[in-house]
Amino acid sequence: QGANVAFGASRDSSGPVEVTADNLSVNQSDGTALYTGNVVIGQGDMRLAAPRVLVVFAEDNSKIERLEATGGVTLVSGEDAAEAERADYDIDGGTIDMAGNVLLTQGPSAVTSERMRVDLDAGTAQMSGRVKTILQNGDQ
Amino acid sequence: QTNDAAMLVADEVLIAGEDQLIARGNVEALYQGSRLTATRITYDRDTDTLQLDGPVRLTDPQGNLLLADSGSLDSTFENGLLRGARMVLDEQLQLASVEARRVDGRYTQLARVAVTSCQVCGANQVPLWQIRASRIVHDEEEKQLYFDNAQFRILDVPVFYAPRLRLPDPTLKRAAGILIPSIRSSTLLGFGIKVPYFIPIGDHQDVTLTPYLSPVTRTLEARYRRAFRNGDLTVNAAVTSDTLDEGPRRGYLFAEGAFDLGRDYKLSFDIEMTSDDAYLNDYDYASKDRLDSELTITRTKAKRYFEIGITHYQSLVDGEDNATQPTILADAIYEQRLFPAALGGELRMGLTAHGHFRYSDDDIIGRDINRLNADLSWRRRWTLPGGVRAGVLGQLWGDAFSISQDSTSDNNVAQLTPAAAVELRWPLIRTAANGARDVIEPIVQFGWAGGDRPNIPNDESTRVEFDEGNLLALSRFPAADRRERGYSTVYGLRWMRDNPSGWSAGLTLGRVTRDEADDAFSRSSGLGGTESDWLVAGHFATRSGLNVTARGLLDGDARFSKAAARAGWTNSRLDLGASYVLLVTDAAEDRPEALSEWSFDGSYRFNQYWTGLADWRYDLASSNLAKAGLGVNYTNECVEVGFSVSRKFASSSNLEPSTDFGLTVALKGFSTGGSAKDYRRSCGG
Amino acid sequence: CGFTPAYGPSGGASALQGQVRLDAPGGRASYLLNQRLEERLGHAPTGRYALSYALKTGRDDLGTTSEGVTSRYHLSGSATWSLTDTDERVVASGKVDSFSSYSPTGSTVATRASQRDATARLMIILADQLVDQLLLQASDLPA
Repeated sequence: QGANVAFGASRDSSGPVEVTADNLSVNQSDGTALYTGNVVIGQGDMRLAAPRVLVVFAEDNSKIERLEATGGVTLVSGEDAAEAERADYDIDGGTIDMAGNVLLTQGPSAVTSERMRVDLDAGTAQMSGRVKTILQNGDQ
Repeated sequence: QTNDAAMLVADEVLIAGEDQLIARGNVEALYQGSRLTATRITYDRDTDTLQLDGPVRLTDPQGNLLLADSGSLDSTFENGLLRGARMVLDEQLQLASVEARRVDGRYTQLARVAVTSCQVCGANQVPLWQIRASRIVHDEEEKQLYFDNAQFRILDVPVFYAPRLRLPDPTLKRAAGILIPSIRSSTLLGFGIKVPYFIPIGDHQDVTLTPYLSPVTRTLEARYRRAFRNGDLTVNAAVTSDTLDEGPRRGYLFAEGAFDLGRDYKLSFDIEMTSDDAYLNDYDYASKDRLDSELTITRTKAKRYFEIGITHYQSLVDGEDNATQPTILADAIYEQRLFPAALGGELRMGLTAHGHFRYSDDDIIGRDINRLNADLSWRRRWTLPGGVRAGVLGQLWGDAFSISQDSTSDNNVAQLTPAAAVELRWPLIRTAANGARDVIEPIVQFGWAGGDRPNIPNDESTRVEFDEGNLLALSRFPAADRRERGYSTVYGLRWMRDNPSGWSAGLTLGRVTRDEADDAFSRSSGLGGTESDWLVAGHFATRSGLNVTARGLLDGDARFSKAAARAGWTNSRLDLGASYVLLVTDAAEDRPEALSEWSFDGSYRFNQYWTGLADWRYDLASSNLAKAGLGVNYTNECVEVGFSVSRKFASSSNLEPSTDFGLTVALKGFSTGGSAKDYRRSCGG
Repeated sequence: CGFTPAYGPSGGASALQGQVRLDAPGGRASYLLNQRLEERLGHAPTGRYALSYALKTGRDDLGTTSEGVTSRYHLSGSATWSLTDTDERVVASGKVDSFSSYSPTGSTVATRASQRDATARLMIILADQLVDQLLLQASDLPA
C-alpha cells in the first residue's frame, strides 16, 4: 500500500519560504540572516515557529540553503505537530532534523524521543533515542 | 488517561504512513503490569495489532513468562497468535508448543505442547518426565491447566495416557485437587494405593479425603482442619471394611484443638477413639498403647500457674483390663510464688486436687482415690565467706486422701508433714593456660522429713526415677501418695569444662544416704536401702553438632542397675540420633526380664539429590531386631521420589510382625508437588 | 591448683546474683525452668541482665517389648540462651541439652505422674546446666 504522507499533507519542498519576525540582522560576509523574536517560517501549509532562526543562503545568494531554529521550536504541518529544542531545515535535501525532547503528536497519539528526522519528500518521520509512544488505537 | 493504553519504548521508531509505526532496538511495550519485548514491533493503528519479530518475550504481573519466535498481539496483549511459543509458569513449569493463542488476556491455548519442569540442557537431551498433549488451555484467572490427549512420558517413554486431565498451575495455593498419590504395601494389608483429594472450604478450613484401596481393605481416611482467630482444630479419622476379621466396620477418630481464651488462659483438648485395639497398629495410623482423651485449661504467669483438666484413658494393650485401670481422672493445680521483702527468699504455695476412678467395683483392684494436697515452702540462699553458697529450705505438706473400694487401706486420711533441708555448694572456677575453663562444685545437703507413712495404697508413685533433677529433692516420689521421711544426707560433685577449641563436657556424681531404708523404692529406682546407688551422669558436646548425654546408677558392686544414653549429631549432611537404655529385672516395675535396647535413626545427604534414611532398634537382651527401616529419597528440580521399607517384629495376640513398603512420586511444578525453584540446575558445568 | 571460688572476689559470679531478669514463661515447662533459675540466681525483675532462651522439648519412645509395647520414654530438652546487658549487647550465650526418662509400664495414673515428674526434673537439669555455663562466663562480664 502506498506510503501516504505521514507528516504534513501535500507538501512541496520547493515552494516559496516566507519569514516573519520581530527583527532581523543580516551578515553579508558569511551570507546569513538572523531573525529573532516570534519568528515564523511558512512554506505551503507548514509553519515553523521559534524565538531565534538563523537563515543560511546559498553561495550565490539566490535562495535559502538552510534554516537553523533554536530556543524551542514548534513545527506544524496539516494536523501533525512536532516540538523540540532545536530544528535544522535543509531545504534542498527536504529534511528537517529536530533534537532535544522531541514530541510528535499525530491525531490522538503522541511520540517522544531525543532526535527526529522528518523526510518531507518520503513523508516519513524517523525518531531515535529513547523513543516512547502511547498506542492510542483508532479514534478511541 | 493513558494507563489503559499500552506504551511503546524503543531506540528507534519509524513512522511510515498514516497508521504504521515501526519500532526497533530494545523495543518494549508495557501494559498494566505486563511487559512485552521483541527485536522489532510494528504497530498498525487501524487494526490495533502489534506485529512481533525476533525472540518475543511477554511477562504478566503474576510472573508467568511467554516466549515466542514471532507473532501478533493486540495493543493490550489480550488477543493474538504466537508461533514457536514457550510458556514458563512461576519460573518452574515450562510448556513448549508450536503455536500459542492468547484469548481475552485470560486463556492461553497451546497447540502440540510438551510440559515439564525438568532442566533440559541442549537440544537432544530428554527431560526426566514430560507431559505431551495435543492441546493445553491455561486459565490465568482460575490458575488451572486443562490437557487434551495428555500422554505422560518418563525419559520419552510414554507410560500413561489420559484423554482429559486438569492440573493446578504452580502459583495456585489452595486448590481442590489430587495431592501426591502414594503406594503402600504391607504383609498385613497387601499392595495398596492412597490417592489424597484436597478440598479447601474458604480460606480457613479444608478437608482431605484419601481413599486407600488394597486387596485386603477398602478404607477412606479423612482429615479436617479449621483455623479460628484464636485457635485451631484438626480432626483425623478413617473408616474401614477389611478382611482381617476384626469386625465388619472398623475405624478411628483423633481430634485435637487449642484455643487462646484471652488473659493468658489457654484451652486444649484431644479426643482419641478407635473401634478395636489392633486397628491403629494394623494401619500404622499411630503407635499408641493407650488412648487418652483430655480437656485442660491452663494459665501461666511469671509467679502463678493454674491448670484444671479431665482425662479419659482407654488401653489398647492386651492383658490390660480397662475396668481395673483408672480410666477417668480429674486434676486441678494452683501454684503461687511470693518474694516477701522483709523475710527475703521465696515463699511458695501450692494446692493440688486429684481424683481417679476405676469402673470395676472389686475390692483393691477396683479402688478409686481422691486427694487434696497443699504445700507451703520457704527457701533462701546466701553467699558465705569463701564463696560457699548456702541454701535453707522449710517445707510443710498437708495431705488429705479418701480411698474407696480398698479394704486394705484406711478410707480417709489426713496428715501434716513438716520437712527442712540445708544445702551447701562451693563452686570453684579455673581458667587454664589454653583458655579452657573448668568449674568444680562439691555439694552437700542435710534433709529431714517428719511424720510417718499413712496406710494408703501406692497408686501413682510406682515408677520412681533418680537423676540430677531430683538428686537434691526432699521427696523423690512422683506423686503425693508417697513421701520420703526421716533424715537424709546427699553429697555430690559437679564438674564442667568449656574448651575454646569447640567442645564442652560435664560430669555429675551424687549419692543419697538415709537413716532408714524406704521399702516403697523398687530395686531399679536406685534409691533403695540406706545408701542409694551412685548417680553418674555426663554430657559431651562439640560445636560441630555432636551431642552426647549419658546417665547411670551404679549399685553396691559397681554394676549398672540402670543406664541410659542419648546421642545426636546434626550438621549440613548428617542428622543422626541414637539412644541406649538398660533396666534390670524388677518385679515391682512388672519387668520380669531385663530390658537392654539400642536404637538408631539417621539421615545422610549423599549429595544434593540423594538422601539415605535408616532406623533400627536392637534388643540386646534377646539379641534380635525389634524394628528396622530403610529409605532413600531422590529430589531434583522437577521430581521428588521417596522409597521406604520398614519391618516391625513385635507379635502378640493382636499384632503380627509386618513389613511395609512405601513409594511416593511427586511431580514438581504443579502446586501440589512442591516448589521446583530451590533446585535450579544450570546447563553445562 | 588455680581454682578460685566462683562467688569469691575474683570469681565474677556475684555480679550475676540478683541481677538476672527472665522473660515471662509460656507454659508449664518454662515456668519450672524459670522457677529453678530464680532459685539459683535470685528473683530480679528489674535486674541489669536479661536472660532469654528458646526451649525445645521432644520425646523418644524406646524399649519396645516383644509385644510391641513401648516400655521406656526419653524426654529430651534443649535451650539456646543469651544474656544481654542494659545496652542490648549480648555478653554471654550458650546451649544446654539433656534428657530425663520414665517408664510408662505402671497404671495410667502412675504413667501420668512419672511423665509430669520427668518434665519437672528435666527443667531442673537444664537450669542447673545453664547456671554452670553462666558461672564459667561470669568473669568475662563487663564491669
